[in-house]
Amino acid sequence: MPEAIEIQLKKGALELCVLALLSQHDSYAYDIAAQLSDSIGMGEGTIYPLMRRLQADRLVETYLVESPSGPSRKYYRLTDAGKASFGAQKSAWSSFSGAVETILGGAK
Amino acid sequence: MTRQAFMARLMEGLRGMPPTAQAEIIADYNNHFNEGAAAGRSEADVAAGLGDPGRLARELRAEAGLRRWEEQRTASAGASAVFAVLGLGAIDILILLPILMGVGSAIFGVGIAVIAIFFAGGVVFAAGPFSGLPGGAAAAVLAGIGMMAGAASLGAVLSIITIGLVNALVWYGRLHYRLLKPALEPQVSGALQ
Repeated sequence: MPEAIEIQLKKGALELCVLALLSQHDSYAYDIAAQLSDSIGMGEGTIYPLMRRLQADRLVETYLVESPSGPSRKYYRLTDAGKASFGAQKSAWSSFSGAVETILGGAK
Repeated sequence: MTRQAFMARLMEGLRGMPPTAQAEIIADYNNHFNEGAAAGRSEADVAAGLGDPGRLARELRAEAGLRRWEEQRTASAGASAVFAVLGLGAIDILILLPILMGVGSAIFGVGIAVIAIFFAGGVVFAAGPFSGLPGGAAAAVLAGIGMMAGAASLGAVLSIITIGLVNALVWYGRLHYRLLKPALEPQVSGALQ
């Protein structure tokens, strides 16, 4: 079932992608959701449970920024623990995906 | 679905969570609709992008329930974690229920036995020396203490096993969050359920 595999892959990569976006610059949930739903086809609604979990795990923290249009936005930024977790997950991902690439290349 | 309908179903699903958590979640999704509107999207489009509000609420509640279990290993937190995982619909309840009930009643039965042995040990300890058991008073006292100690350690092992089982269920539930699925394949999700 290729669809099932794709979903599992995306699920696993989702947290890593969110941490990666936040490591580039602080952002708010709508913006993160929009970027991820464009690039990896993630449901927008999933961002909020994920952000709440990351916040409860103290990987991200929030602050409010006045928005030019309408109410203030809740921005997320990585904590030190979040940066450390991102580094660890990123290297784990690189070595894993590198290994899979090698095997896939050999299977041609 | 309109914004109003979405928010109403979300609030319905969140009922029972701490009021502050509910307010935060409601504010998050309200903001999402505001941002969507500012970006020129229709309410229906934003609501469709967000997915099923009932499912979102179940996942948010499940996460809160699992977290409570991880923070405090109490019986009620364990029970709410189990129900949260079941509420996710991640596990086929028809398959799981007989197993859960079997395991649950086995644990319950052994628990009762442990308590019974403990009290029996207490009786042997207290009454044994006066009832003329073979081996004399000292042996009866020691046997009583032995039975109570044995029951206590059995009880400890039993609670470790129970905690392990709930943890396994929590892990399984986390692994099988199905939130992404309907969001990723809206065309199939109806057929699957």
